[in-house]
Amino acid sequence: MTAPTALRRAERALEIPHGRLLAAVLAAGATLGSAFALAAVSAYLVTRAWTMPPVLDLTVAVVMVRALGISRGVFRWLDRMLTHDVAFRGVVSLRTNLFTALAARTDDAVTRLRRGDLLARLGDDAQELGDHVIKALVPGLVAALMGVVVLATITPLSLLAAASMLLALVSAGVLAPLAAYRAATVTEHAVVTTRSGVSAPALEILDDATSLRLDGRLDAALAELHERQAEHDQAIDRAALPSAVASAAVPLAMILALAGSLLAAGAAWVTGGASAGQVGVLLLLPLSSFEAATALPAAASQYARSRAAAARLAEIVGSPISTVTTAVPGPERAETAHLRAVGLSAGWSASAPRVSGLDLDLPAGSRLAVVGASGSGKSTLLATLAGLLEPLAGHVVLDDSAPLRSGVVLFAEDAHVFATTVRENLRVVRGDLDDETARAALSAVGLDDWVATLPRGLDTALGPDGTTVSGGERRRLLLARAVIRRGPVLLLDEPTEHLDTARGDALLRALLDPADTSLVPATSTVVVVTHRVEAIPEGTAVLHIGENARTRYEENR
Amino acid sequence: MTATTAGPRPTRRTRRAPLDPRLLREVTAARRHVARTVALGLVQALCVIVTALVIGRLGAQLLVERQLPQDAPALLLALLAALALRAGAVLLEQRTAHRAATDAIGELRGRVVSHAATLGPRGSAGRGADLTTLATTGVENLRPYLVGYVPQLMLSVTVTPLCLLAIGILDPLSALIALVTLPLVPLFMILVGTMTVGRSEQLLTDMRSLWTQLLDLVDGLPTLRALGREKGPEKVVAQLGDRHRASAMGSLKFAFLSSMVLELLATLCVALVAVSIGMRLVYGEMDLAPALAVLVLAPEVYQPLRNVGSQYHASTDGLAAVTASFEVLDEQPAADGTLPAPDLRTATVALRGVAVASRDGLAPHDADLTLHPGRVLALTGPSGSGKTTAVHVLLGLLDPDRGRAEVIDVHGAVTDVRDLQRRSLWDQVALLPQRPVLPPGTIRSVLASARPGAGDADLARVASATGLDLVVAERGWEADLGRAGAGISLGERQRLALARALLSPAPLVVLDEPTAHLDGATERVVLDLIRTLREQGRTVLVIAHRSRLAEVADDIARVEASA
Repeated sequence: MTAPTALRRAERALEIPHGRLLAAVLAAGATLGSAFALAAVSAYLVTRAWTMPPVLDLTVAVVMVRALGISRGVFRWLDRMLTHDVAFRGVVSLRTNLFTALAARTDDAVTRLRRGDLLARLGDDAQELGDHVIKALVPGLVAALMGVVVLATITPLSLLAAASMLLALVSAGVLAPLAAYRAATVTEHAVVTTRSGVSAPALEILDDATSLRLDGRLDAALAELHERQAEHDQAIDRAALPSAVASAAVPLAMILALAGSLLAAGAAWVTGGASAGQVGVLLLLPLSSFEAATALPAAASQYARSRAAAARLAEIVGSPISTVTTAVPGPERAETAHLRAVGLSAGWSASAPRVSGLDLDLPAGSRLAVVGASGSGKSTLLATLAGLLEPLAGHVVLDDSAPLRSGVVLFAEDAHVFATTVRENLRVVRGDLDDETARAALSAVGLDDWVATLPRGLDTALGPDGTTVSGGERRRLLLARAVIRRGPVLLLDEPTEHLDTARGDALLRALLDPADTSLVPATSTVVVVTHRVEAIPEGTAVLHIGENARTRYEENR
Repeated sequence: MTATTAGPRPTRRTRRAPLDPRLLREVTAARRHVARTVALGLVQALCVIVTALVIGRLGAQLLVERQLPQDAPALLLALLAALALRAGAVLLEQRTAHRAATDAIGELRGRVVSHAATLGPRGSAGRGADLTTLATTGVENLRPYLVGYVPQLMLSVTVTPLCLLAIGILDPLSALIALVTLPLVPLFMILVGTMTVGRSEQLLTDMRSLWTQLLDLVDGLPTLRALGREKGPEKVVAQLGDRHRASAMGSLKFAFLSSMVLELLATLCVALVAVSIGMRLVYGEMDLAPALAVLVLAPEVYQPLRNVGSQYHASTDGLAAVTASFEVLDEQPAADGTLPAPDLRTATVALRGVAVASRDGLAPHDADLTLHPGRVLALTGPSGSGKTTAVHVLLGLLDPDRGRAEVIDVHGAVTDVRDLQRRSLWDQVALLPQRPVLPPGTIRSVLASARPGAGDADLARVASATGLDLVVAERGWEADLGRAGAGISLGERQRLALARALLSPAPLVVLDEPTAHLDGATERVVLDLIRTLREQGRTVLVIAHRSRLAEVADDIARVEASA
């Protein structure tokens, strides 16, 4: 996928209303037009006044000058408001479309995203495209519009002046953005390549200063930082010249426009083809014709940043960002399900499978404990069984060949606790949750005492990502979600981590003992990843995941 | 839509001078940059004035005397030269501005990092993420500040007054109009600011909370997917986004008033000047040449001010980075002592009533411990009680708020650790922090660097004692660790660090929670290692969270935080 198409797709996902965009461009055009017209009319006024006409002849020009003196400020405000409004609307649409597209993905792209990445894409990159509207799209359109206005003003006065102005506008309008674009891509490249080379030793020194000083390695580390910084400086310095050329392009182009205009004014006046007022306009207008063009370098660098942001967005969304909300498939599922895995290999990359050649047969109501050393691939296996991560080989199916994700629910170890009330955090799994069910579930996981101490009970707001909740409370809150959710197949990752041993083991036994229905119904299939081998009830099937993707299946005795 | 208007960014409301005097004093690149932009600003002002005068003269000659511009080649040449010189000045200014920014950023980053490193554990830990952000991306904010804002600021102190002066000489009345409108700029800005400050702050708070909610939802998307509930919240995303937009627009409504005032005054001044000149020309009270020149100069008076206004954010971000950097640089590191450390093979190290202020009280609080040579001391205490801090005090990395760390040599002479030449002390210590820090290199070179001159037999011995031999069997001695041991797993890194501690000749070995993040097998390795170290007659200080580590210790010391 090439970057420009990615940008165009992102632009489409902004769903910018054409009417509003037009209004913004017109307001911005009116702002610059006011200044341009002010320069033209005041040049006319002054040179016309020099011919000493009756004062009444100047009235219109005087009134216009005064009006234009005020209108620019007012249009400026309007232009800023309209442009930002369009951009904000665009970002809202884009973000909603991105969210929908990510939610609708059937493959494992979302599972593979790192947490920070998702925030960066939907937060910063979406905003970058808002900036695209404000700094690139609108100024670009306005520059084109103003070019037409300038030429339309000068052409009736002198063709020579118009021709030199056209040449000057085109060279400024091409040279400046091109140079700025070049500077922006060089900078972006330097930031991507050599800047991480600077950040890495800097972070290392700050994080590990104590060890480095003690070991006497601090000076070596600082020397390395210095060296990397010099490399980065050299890379980023390549952007300086094009960036400077972009700034100097407009004053350079102005020379051409002014020279042509001066000669044209001379010819027009001496041959008697123009009035004094018109000559005044020809003389002074070139100096005021380039305001729109001065915004182009910034627009070009924004364009480079927008392209990069759009490419990153395209990467996570994969298929074109759809602006059509796909129909929600019915999440309603059967009460029970038979889960089977055949020749399953799971892992984050094909070269390093964490589990391989696994066959699992879990009829409705099965209980399975998964154990293994940390990092052996237990969580990876669960994500694959839940259909959130594509298997490297083999397949996972439900007996009625229903879509995997309609029957299997994963309760991840690092699941998100939303910054909202306890109730809303439970409603995440069931929209029609009533108080009674919520309280019953919280009591089943031993959180009834905790809720009783909360200032507003179920309606107490929790901090961002559960930061005001202790590790043990958080874990049980996530377990309560599973209790409320029920469903044919429940996969739980370390549901009793951070709990004291007695309480954790009791909950684990309740989950794994088919006869115990205090947490889950007997007909549900339950797979639990745990490191508490001692607490697994006798007779429970246990899957051992070992080193080198070896798995061993046995019954706990 | 800058980050300030769309996303939440803590904006400090402290007022700063537009140029930080310390930046100019201490960072050579910045000082030269300012001097150069002033000089180039003067050149540009001169060019602007020459351009205006020549256009006025050429125009007047043409209209009054019907003399074509090409018939006055000297004037025409002067005009083109002035315009070309101005373009050249802009080119040079921007080219050098980028260089200056690059140099200033590099210098400031280097100084901040090296200074923060010598401040000791508290200096960097107290700032945490702020410091790392400053050192990585924060100082980069100097670039837009030095390249965008500073040159415009310098133009506003060169071009603006010089153009005003030129207008004053050509036509005092026009200069008066400009002089009257100029002070209105700051006046109206302050007025608009005080009028809107309360309202926009409220809106900003709303905006931030909506933004937080939106990000919370985005953050929870993987969880929603895992629960099969990912359909539906996109409506909430849209709603929150719309409310955020409404809020943001509400606050921008006021924020944009200031740019409106600036534009209004600038164009109004030009309009008033034009009308006043026109009216005087009608009655023959003024010549054409100065009239045209003043008309060219009038907008130039305001141009730098408008540019400064539009670069305002670049200035606040850049100045914030400068201030934050100097805050770090202002902190004084603990002074090094002068006395050589006694031989730790025979000396005793001790803490006497040590207390260090932490965020919530003292941690540790009144810590006492004595570490006898050749013995194993376990340091226990609940998490957050200041165990690691106590060790930092013991090693002279951190000055305690109360009490002291001392070294008692074999003759019983007591020296405060603060009076010791740290290098001579640290050379006798091997520290194994919770997250081992390894130099770059291969497994062999990294291990061998723990004791210069160690032979292959020594390496093999310590490798088998720490379980590193299994790692070597799988990856080979020449496996590259990459930066900070990133090439191997945390467990493997830990084994390598243990092997280094065993190999090193340091008489004092400090192990900070060596079994955290490790499974039972590795825990046994650590226990064996501690026994081996004791057999070798070395002194071991082990920070122990788990009881089994305390079991192998000869002595146990406990630290507590104050309630």
